[in-house]
Amino acid sequence: MLPTEPIGSIPRPAALIEGVQGFRAGRISQPELTALYDAAVQDTIRRLEATGSPVITDGEQAKHSFATYSIHGLENLSPDGVPISFADGHIRNLPRLTGGPFRYKTPADVYLEIAQRYAQVPLKQAVVSASALSLLYPQGGLRGYSREEYLDALIDEQEGEIRRCLKKGAHVVQMDFTEGRLSIKLDPTRRLLRSFIDLNNLVLERFSAEERKRIGVHTCPGADRHSTHSADVDYAELLPSLFELQATSFYVQLASEPHRQRVLKLIREHAKATQRIFVGVIDPLDPRVETAEEIRDRVLEAAEYIPPDRLGTTDDCGFAPFSDDTSRTRGTAFDKIRARVAGTALASTVLGVD
Amino acid sequence: MSQQREAYGETLGRLRRRLRTLHQCTNALLQAESEQALLRSICEILVAGGEVRLAWVGYCEDDAEKTVRPVAQAGDGVEYLERLKTSWGEIELGQGPVGVAVRTGHACWVDDIRTNPRFSPWRAAALARGYASCLAVPLIAYEASGGAVDLRGTLNLYAAECSAFDEHAIEHYTGLAASVAYAVTALRGHLAEDLTSGVTALRARAERKRAEEALQQAREELAHVTRVTTLGELAASIAHEINQPLAAIGADANACLHWLAADRPDLDSVRGALTAIVKDGLRAGEVITRIRALLTRSSVARGRCDLTGVIRDVLPLVGPEIRRHGISLEMSLAPNLPQVTGDRIQLQQVLLNLLMNAVEAMREVPPVRRRMVVRATTDHRDDGPWAIVAVEDAGVGFSQAEAPRLFEAFYTTKPGGLGMGLSISRSIIDNHRGRLWATTNSDHGATFQFALPGMP
Repeated sequence: MLPTEPIGSIPRPAALIEGVQGFRAGRISQPELTALYDAAVQDTIRRLEATGSPVITDGEQAKHSFATYSIHGLENLSPDGVPISFADGHIRNLPRLTGGPFRYKTPADVYLEIAQRYAQVPLKQAVVSASALSLLYPQGGLRGYSREEYLDALIDEQEGEIRRCLKKGAHVVQMDFTEGRLSIKLDPTRRLLRSFIDLNNLVLERFSAEERKRIGVHTCPGADRHSTHSADVDYAELLPSLFELQATSFYVQLASEPHRQRVLKLIREHAKATQRIFVGVIDPLDPRVETAEEIRDRVLEAAEYIPPDRLGTTDDCGFAPFSDDTSRTRGTAFDKIRARVAGTALASTVLGVD
Repeated sequence: MSQQREAYGETLGRLRRRLRTLHQCTNALLQAESEQALLRSICEILVAGGEVRLAWVGYCEDDAEKTVRPVAQAGDGVEYLERLKTSWGEIELGQGPVGVAVRTGHACWVDDIRTNPRFSPWRAAALARGYASCLAVPLIAYEASGGAVDLRGTLNLYAAECSAFDEHAIEHYTGLAASVAYAVTALRGHLAEDLTSGVTALRARAERKRAEEALQQAREELAHVTRVTTLGELAASIAHEINQPLAAIGADANACLHWLAADRPDLDSVRGALTAIVKDGLRAGEVITRIRALLTRSSVARGRCDLTGVIRDVLPLVGPEIRRHGISLEMSLAPNLPQVTGDRIQLQQVLLNLLMNAVEAMREVPPVRRRMVVRATTDHRDDGPWAIVAVEDAGVGFSQAEAPRLFEAFYTTKPGGLGMGLSISRSIIDNHRGRLWATTNSDHGATFQFALPGMP
């Protein structure tokens, strides 16, 4: 069968969301909160395995958000960093670094270890890209801690995080690069994008070619609540640069694109022969659950542009990249993932892929 | 009179439209949240103003074709832009208003697209969409101080009438383009610039490290090749060195057989011969072990290293060559020489090279003068004890003119020499935080010596 993988997040159970609020308000203790996290991870893994997905995640149940999980709780951060505006008008602010030195507080391998206690099938681990976290450094600079020192520390932290995930047995480590498309909105000259690519490559180049076979990159226009932050940016602006990243697998949002064939053509033009493309066949923002036949047709459409031996399927995005996002239900997420697995299997049969 | 009034009315109407457009643009400049949204708004306002059919903003790319890439557009003919190829370079596609405006930093316009040769590459497509004249204004704001805010792009406008852009219009749009340049610059802040400079510095460092690693690897490989070459030169002498114990082993073994064949075997003699066989076997084995170490390993392995041991490792390999040339060898090894941190094989290579050079230097001097001294001493310095190993010969020496070039790569005075030995030796000693240098002796020949910091 063609490889098929989720992106990462699953909406948190209501009990967990209430528990987090309760913990902040001092109503429940840390051990009680930890037990809620543990139960959510366990339940998510059980239900993801039940979808038949050959590769799963922990649903990012214990992550504060896909972007800030590693730094959440650090004392040298303030909440008023770079604002990310979504199309529906809501804004998420990245934190702002207030001083050095910079170190991760909870790197992704910590989450991986917990998930491994319960998983029976291979686990992939998502990590936030260095380029996303590069935005933490304030524009005005920091006294006694230069941007270069910060970026240096950031690269070291991310290398360590990815290396430990690989060593602990992650099936694949996926670098979340949702700010790629956003960067073009922030700076149409694409200098920012080029810097992002270069920065992430500085991380990726620290790994051997063999190690990089287990490292992927995810791109999407962001999905939070019912909206995105950069879907209006033309993929043609991003894709040529995206495939310069020294990764092997690329998880590309596609299902929600208005002109999928145009994007597939761009992928065909710019992806390297050694790169595998996992096309998004599920739209997490769409409340309707796709049918297996729809998925099959989307895969077959993609196979017209990408050879089956370099093709895989995925979801367009995580189902709740921010932990407080309740705009989708867990049930819908699992149903959609089940449809992806079934549809990918149907397409694999048509394509003659075992 | 009525004609004049009509003309005034027309002018007044145009000015009103421009004023309204300017007001809307100013609002867009003040309210913009993102660069792309701002550029799109400006294009939309200009088209809605009725003076132009198509408005687009292009940015200069630094690709091979020096493309001007549309980043925002509005109006009739967006598909025209999808096929548009324009450049800011000195090529044909750079001779249109866009290319000229970018290069000169001033507005460039075409009054009649039908006839102006400047527009020939795009004429057919433009006429098909009803464009008759066009204007390209650079997105530059010139400052009183002489500086400029330059977005490296143009605002491009296409009108349905010929000569639509008169002097006032050009001034109007130039002013607007300057305001856009300021607004965009403010929006961008210094985000991209700051990050780019940070990443560029890290990239430069990563590249430097990579180059250093590649150089180090090349040096190690070259050092290995040089070691193999040197051993090749020594092959005859080494064969002799191994042959001697082997011959002795053969003779002793035969003697043993002879003694054992007697009615009353002379067991004491047999024991003595067997002891000699074991000793000779070990001696041959040691030579082979040393050669194998020098031949096979090319990666560096640092550790505690005793330089007296290094000297004792190398001398058996060069000994036969020294004797073959009738050179008298003196050794002066100070007791308690400080141990150093280093790669034993690399240090053996340095010493081997110095000894072979000394032998070579004395090849042409009278046999009576052929004398070599190997010294190991301790130099007590402010930063601790240093171990110094010197090889002194009485050979041809070197002139003052040759001195600066002795350690250069590919510099040799030996016929058929590679000229790499001393260069590699110096890089090895440098990498050990030591120093290798040469002096001429007061009477004959030269002394090559290296100093290495002792371990604390």
